[in-house]
Amino acid sequence: MSIIYQGKSIRTMNPHLPQATHIAVRDGHILAVGTAQDIDGWQKAWGPLELNTDFASRSLLPGFIEGHSHMMEGMFWDYHYVGFYDREGPDGTVWPGLKSIDAVVDKLKEIQATREDKDTPLLAWGFDPIYFTDRRMNAADLDAVSEDCAVIVLHASLHILNANNFVMDAADVKNADNSEFIRRDENGQPNGEFLGQLGYYMAMRTTGINLLAIASSPETLVNFANVARQTGVTTATDLVNPVPEGSEKPMRDAIDADDFPMRLVVAFQGNSKEPDEAVARMQELQASNSDKLRFSIVKMVADGSIQGFSARLKWPHYYNGAENGLWYIEPERLGEYLKAYTKAGIQVHVHTNGDECTEVALDKIEEALREHPWPDHRHTLQHCQMATRAHFKRMKSLGVGVNLFSNHLYYWGDAHINITMGPERAARLDDAGGALAEGVPLAIHSDAPVTALAPLFTAWCAVNRLSSGGVTLGNGTQNITVEQALYAITMGAAYSLKMENEIGSLECGKRADIAILADDPVDVGAAGLKDISVIGTMVGGIVHLNQGRD
Amino acid sequence: MQTPATNARAQKTPLTIISGFLGSGKTSLLNHLLTQAGPENGGRRITAMVNDFGALNIDAELIAEKHGNQIALANGCVCCSIGDDLMRSFIEVMQQDPLPDHIIIEASGVAEPTRIAGFASVDPQMRLDGIVTLVDAAAHHIHANDPHLADNYGKQIEAAHLLLISKPDLANAQQRAALNDELRAAYPHVPLAEVTHGKMPIDVVLGLNSDSAPALPTDEMAHNLVQWAGHLPPLPRHKIVKRLETLRPHVLRAKGVLRDSAGDYVLHLAGGRISTETYAGDASGHFVIIGKPQMPDAATLEKLFTQNEAA
Ligand SMILES: [Zn+2]
Repeated sequence: MSIIYQGKSIRTMNPHLPQATHIAVRDGHILAVGTAQDIDGWQKAWGPLELNTDFASRSLLPGFIEGHSHMMEGMFWDYHYVGFYDREGPDGTVWPGLKSIDAVVDKLKEIQATREDKDTPLLAWGFDPIYFTDRRMNAADLDAVSEDCAVIVLHASLHILNANNFVMDAADVKNADNSEFIRRDENGQPNGEFLGQLGYYMAMRTTGINLLAIASSPETLVNFANVARQTGVTTATDLVNPVPEGSEKPMRDAIDADDFPMRLVVAFQGNSKEPDEAVARMQELQASNSDKLRFSIVKMVADGSIQGFSARLKWPHYYNGAENGLWYIEPERLGEYLKAYTKAGIQVHVHTNGDECTEVALDKIEEALREHPWPDHRHTLQHCQMATRAHFKRMKSLGVGVNLFSNHLYYWGDAHINITMGPERAARLDDAGGALAEGVPLAIHSDAPVTALAPLFTAWCAVNRLSSGGVTLGNGTQNITVEQALYAITMGAAYSLKMENEIGSLECGKRADIAILADDPVDVGAAGLKDISVIGTMVGGIVHLNQGRD
Repeated sequence: MQTPATNARAQKTPLTIISGFLGSGKTSLLNHLLTQAGPENGGRRITAMVNDFGALNIDAELIAEKHGNQIALANGCVCCSIGDDLMRSFIEVMQQDPLPDHIIIEASGVAEPTRIAGFASVDPQMRLDGIVTLVDAAAHHIHANDPHLADNYGKQIEAAHLLLISKPDLANAQQRAALNDELRAAYPHVPLAEVTHGKMPIDVVLGLNSDSAPALPTDEMAHNLVQWAGHLPPLPRHKIVKRLETLRPHVLRAKGVLRDSAGDYVLHLAGGRISTETYAGDASGHFVIIGKPQMPDAATLEKLFTQNEAA
């Protein structure tokens, strides 16, 4: 059975036929794109085409591809959202934004009052203190929710959490050695804020909730896919997963189901085993790929985050004088892994945030390529937020692609100008315009759940470069056009995953993966990109509609 | 995992962090510590968290069981591969029942040991025993001037409670002396010793949680260390602490089960820190010090610790 879908506008990302009105779908693939007349001739070979006009007033684009996200995005929805902005859950429920610390505490009190088992841990997430400048949330705030059970609030950045005194007593932190990861009040007592992995570790050790197991459960995968579906995503990535032996089967069972609305590309955690074993494991995983689940790339993490002051910056380092960040792997070891993967023909995505780290990663990629020349390796730098034009030139020469963290412009743009990088370097933050000008293959990403998964929002960030404080970053050379941004969230990301032959554009023979939008993003233009309503998606010819959208 | 709010320090599992750059000899040291563990040597059941099993070079006969990322050794110790996920590894290790007597982690070459130590401070059942940093005698000048790693290198050394200069045999006399002087001047209170092929007595590196007195093995491992043992009269503990302080930097490790007017207590000097804790048994007054040859001789020590007036 072939169905021909009519759209109000179809933007294909195929330069031979950028716009169309009809698209024919058969066996999960695109039979043809064009006008009804163009497509008509296919009936001779394939039989009648059934016209479907459900989306005749909609705009159809290639399904969006999120080239850097984490399936962890799906793990928190069983807990309570307390973020600043309204957020829509996988079931379509809208969780209203909370506009003050008191509002968060009141919400948690309300939840506690209605819970049946009041002694079990109360976990909330999405709290964003950036918007509350008058004071920090502390343990006393959460003691007001309950003194008799663990109350834990995870921040939106995922780098910090707040805990009540019940948790701190259980962890016996009152006598803990001084640590930069335990915030203290003016009397030197832990104030309830814990940074980095330390907080998560404490939360798990004191509540017994195994967040690690939840993060990789099939339920989390389903939630993740449903959140993705609501934003028009048809292929997402889980950009770092150790894929323990035996974990691929339950993943595949969940993903290969017809009603699972997404393809997933899993990046194997590159240094979770020694180089030889890691290559062997990766080859084993690749042999088990299916249409919807791919183990095709490797991720290596080389430094931390800029806003967490753990990224490696070149001299003169951080604007506020903070000491330079951290290597997450010895540069020498990074080099060993890059050589092993390059030799085996396995594509590597390297997380580099700071410019020092970007340079070292390029050094190591170059060394690997000297030993094991590979014309289309397509190794990719992820985040790569501080790259200069010189770095982009070198990436071009080496054949290295980039996936920039454009959402940072909005969420942390002000912090980068004022605290971490200073105005001069912040101007080039996530320089998509520079990457394209130098000829570097470009994708842009959300790093969900670090920021919300929504490619149209990411595109809006790269196009407008506007911070949440209302400041425009850069002088215009860093901005990209709406068309370039749409390309980046479709073909750009597909190319970074070596899937440009299968997905990323609407053209004959490719997979029938489509984002169904209320309005044409090119017509809407730069300012309104992020507000376009996503009606649903099609994945391999199967339509998945979002609830209550028009 | 839910635990009572109060946890006596003594009931927590001690964590020792072995820090140092790639190639500084962390694995050799760990190997030697593991061979000194087990029932024949005081019964410490150590769980070692390592980056790479392969490098550990464990004798096949010693491996009792291997599954997933854990290897159980015949002597009761366990090795866990970290696989670049420290938090997951700590969660797994702390799920062992019973908990190990001691956890040793072989930190990655770029890890900041104080960050790892943070896990112990928020764990109801773990505490930091000490940070041991290995400094490669021959490569010190390279590491200290590395354009990308020098700051990291400095932090590892700064965090140490015990500094071990490794591979002294690969450095020339001048390099060794210069390194020794440099570290001595920068960290006058941190014990400092040379270690070849990782050969260091387990009681020098670990130990606050052990019930036995530290003991110096008689094999070649200890050729450059000396030991003194004696019985102390019931002097006020602050005096003992003060006298012990005067022996820095030549003392690496000390332990006494002592008594004063405030009660029975155990005194430790380990990882460069002196501490005391209440002792539930009947204190014997036994006191052991392990130090370097430069430490005062036995007669001087005897006098120092047994005379009634402050030295
Ligand atoms: Zn990420």
